[in-house]
Amino acid sequence: MRSADSDLIARWRAEPAPLLGLLHAFHERDGHLSDEALHAVAEGLRMSLADLYGTVEFYHHFSREAGGRDAPRVCGGPICKTRGSDALLAELDGASPMPCAGRCDEPIPVLCGGEVLVGTPGGGLRAAPTPLPPPNPDGLEECCFARVREAGRATLAGYGGSYRALARARELGGEALLSELDASGLVGRGGAGFSTARKWRAVREAAGGPKTIVCNADEGEPGCFKDRVLLDHDPHAVLEGMAVAAEVTGATRGFVYLRYEYPHTQAVLERAIEEARGELGEFELNVRRGAGAYICGEETSLLNSLEGAHPFPRNRPPFPVTHGFEGTPTAVNNVETLASVPPIVERGADWYAGLGLGKERGTKIISLSGDVRRPGNYEVPIGFSLTRLLFDWAGGPGDGRGLQAITMAGLSGGFLGPGDFDATLDEPCLKARGSFLGAGGVMVFDDRRDMVDVARQAMAFFADESCGKCFPCRIGTQRLTERLAGVAGPTQAEAWKAEVGAIGDTMSQLSACGLGIAAPLITESLLRLFPERVDEALARR
Amino acid sequence: MTGTTPTGAASNRLTLDGETVAFEEGESLFELARRHGDAVSSLCFDDRLEPLGACRLCAVEVEGQARPVASCTTLAHAGMVVRTRTADLERHRRILTDLIVSENPTGAAIDSLRGSASQELAQLAGRYEADGRRFGGARSGASRADDANPMILRDYDHCISCYRCVRICSEQQGDDAISVGGRGFRTRITTEFDGLLADSACTFCGQCVQTCPTGALADRRALEHAETPGELAATRSICPYCGVGCSLDILTKGERIVGVRPAPDGPANEGALCVKGQFAWEWVQHPDRLTNPLVRKDGELVEASWDEALDRAAEGFREVAAAHGREAVYAVASGRAPHESAYTIQKLVRVCFQTNQIDNCSRS
Ligand SMILES: Cc1cc2nc3c(=O)[nH]c(=O)nc-3n(C[C@H](O)[C@H](O)[C@H](O)COP(=O)(O)O)c2cc1C
Ligand code: SF4
Ligand code: SF4
Ligand code: SF4
Repeated sequence: MRSADSDLIARWRAEPAPLLGLLHAFHERDGHLSDEALHAVAEGLRMSLADLYGTVEFYHHFSREAGGRDAPRVCGGPICKTRGSDALLAELDGASPMPCAGRCDEPIPVLCGGEVLVGTPGGGLRAAPTPLPPPNPDGLEECCFARVREAGRATLAGYGGSYRALARARELGGEALLSELDASGLVGRGGAGFSTARKWRAVREAAGGPKTIVCNADEGEPGCFKDRVLLDHDPHAVLEGMAVAAEVTGATRGFVYLRYEYPHTQAVLERAIEEARGELGEFELNVRRGAGAYICGEETSLLNSLEGAHPFPRNRPPFPVTHGFEGTPTAVNNVETLASVPPIVERGADWYAGLGLGKERGTKIISLSGDVRRPGNYEVPIGFSLTRLLFDWAGGPGDGRGLQAITMAGLSGGFLGPGDFDATLDEPCLKARGSFLGAGGVMVFDDRRDMVDVARQAMAFFADESCGKCFPCRIGTQRLTERLAGVAGPTQAEAWKAEVGAIGDTMSQLSACGLGIAAPLITESLLRLFPERVDEALARR
Repeated sequence: MTGTTPTGAASNRLTLDGETVAFEEGESLFELARRHGDAVSSLCFDDRLEPLGACRLCAVEVEGQARPVASCTTLAHAGMVVRTRTADLERHRRILTDLIVSENPTGAAIDSLRGSASQELAQLAGRYEADGRRFGGARSGASRADDANPMILRDYDHCISCYRCVRICSEQQGDDAISVGGRGFRTRITTEFDGLLADSACTFCGQCVQTCPTGALADRRALEHAETPGELAATRSICPYCGVGCSLDILTKGERIVGVRPAPDGPANEGALCVKGQFAWEWVQHPDRLTNPLVRKDGELVEASWDEALDRAAEGFREVAAAHGREAVYAVASGRAPHESAYTIQKLVRVCFQTNQIDNCSRS
């Protein structure tokens, strides 16, 4: 082994969760992951070379070809497609497409090695800071965004100089904090909506350790770009949320699992952690970057990824709260969930709960993008009117256009049509419409868009990102994509619809994780809302 | 599997398809259901492996759960109400089987000489009348015609990504020679750098072959006898190659050996073999094999009768013993000799030569 290689290995072997960090170190140093690098890593971390090879291949962004790391990757997400990402891709030498990179409110993002530039076809590329959320149009009180627009907020000084919520948490003690959190009604903002208090209580009461807090900053859902704003502009809120979680659960170590497509954010986080050392005490925090895999946002796949294993989701039970990172009790929480915690601790459960409308408690950030005049992140009271968000806050469609459809939960909630625009943004209402709020990504399509093709793109995304572990999802996403693309399957409309419905039904019932369960909402809602579009598409074939 | 029910404590009972049944501590719903009939099937399950919950064919309904659960990864709990035979489940299983067969429509043509489990997919397809016409589309997996090793055929056109091969290589054999590459529909079984098995950590134990439910991994030596006429028969025996004593079944067609299978119930090996027991049997019927004794005459080996050959051997042994004492005789039995011959040779050495200088080549 070359001595430079052994130095890298010696450095990373001493760290927790070393594999991803070590692979990134080689990837950055050499511009790709060479055979020699993989040999060195396998030997250094005592892994099977075959396993390592298969695992490296699992990730979208690890390149095995010389210079591959720095070759441009152009976002091919549904919104960027409408803005000409195919043309931009053709303009750039050696460029390849990547799935939605979480900048749907900006020009098209292009990942170039260690930085993300944005641009449009014919317009060149430039660096751009993460946009701040537009001011709340009705002046409604916010939780996560309340102070995010303050200058210097990303520094500890700008954050207020110290972790005051953490200090208060230490005064209150775990039980009192859990009651407070429970009363606030805070539930997970990463998609599944599980009660944060219950999750933390389970970790607190679980036997064994050391306990672990994981901040899920994988934000891989197309159309979601809310976590990046919080991480870039208010990192201390997220870190403090993690520290409070550690205080409640007794965890001594924490990881931020950051998606590969946010390279700049890694530096922001590392700087913030450095600044916060004095605040964090015994709580050891590390950032680990993913390498391009939507499924790694699923918490058990994420844990496998952190551990350096093949990132298939795990079977549950046991759940991460008892058997998480390296088999220890672990709380995995979304960025937004964690960022909500310090304000709740400081201002109380009643305040937070009171931000919601009607029976609903708290707020939710909606990443709004596509065919509206003012795309961006909006923090809305839960229970807020969808129409008001789409038309009053975001300005509705462009001149002379009508809105045809929106997606919910990024892509995972399928489509809603104009008939659903009277809905409110809360799970009970959206569930009744056959969808869900999830992580809060809403992509808007006006009447120019070919919804069958949008559905095809969505299903192709799920097929590309299916981990391949379970049969209904692995084969089903492929078969549905083929049928939406018209390359296989029945050509007669009734037969087509019956077949697509049958495949989707079995996928949603039998798939092992949320990806395969949710993916058929795309076809289900397409068939429900746009049967004539499907007929037309089939007639054209 | 028979429908016997273990005697369990009253608390170890649940409702299975309307009947109260007892379960054993730590038993999965799959194992329980299997003891009570054949409603539930699986393609990714192997008793020796950690359940993976990949194929989802073993889905059952558990009251209180929003969706069917994979019975192989769900432990039985007291008071559970489990259904394995509902119309919904049967519909999902049929669709799932159709989906699987849609990318492996040739399942019925798989020769059973490929491996112990090679008929599992074909049987499932038969059960659900899946012929590959429904849900057609792209097929996954590409056979590795370039991997010309003489033992394991890597015919991944038939692969359904159940990962039994990868898991058995890791969990049972400890070689970790093969792994899962890519993801989603493009998932494939690979070695490091997509290389050949011979260049990998593979020890050619053949366990992946025997657990593969589609015949995608196949015993190449056995397959050479696909066209050999005769009824396939199996004879239980014990591998003579070393002291582990693995149980195996010798497959024959007529007078010819056509393959070897590990015995799943072998007390020493529980369905495992190593490369020797699994693949080293062809020499039995090799044309170069001696079928007559040879003696040396004027420096040339020539055919002789058994009487002549035995006389010559006895004469030689007597001379050596007379000149150097009985300890001068030492016998090494061949690992390729049957157990009966090994027994006889030690008897010969101990009784006739009165020494205990007897060994076997595969002892070391
Ligand atoms: C396919 C899939 C992708 C997911 N991606 C993310 C993600 O990028 N970020 C996230 O926070 N949660 C994601 N989740 C949800 C996580 O599994 C988990 O529920 C969440 O991180 C828990 O945090 P919370 O309770 O704070 O929401 C995903 C789930 C699935 C099934
Ligand atoms: S549903 Fe899809 S992504 Fe989830 S485990 Fe199954 S194959 Fe993997
Ligand atoms: S080769 Fe056989 S055992 Fe291995 S994954 Fe494919 S079908 Fe399963
Ligand atoms: S040689 Fe191999 S197969 Fe034969 S008994 Fe020994 S371990 Fe078993």
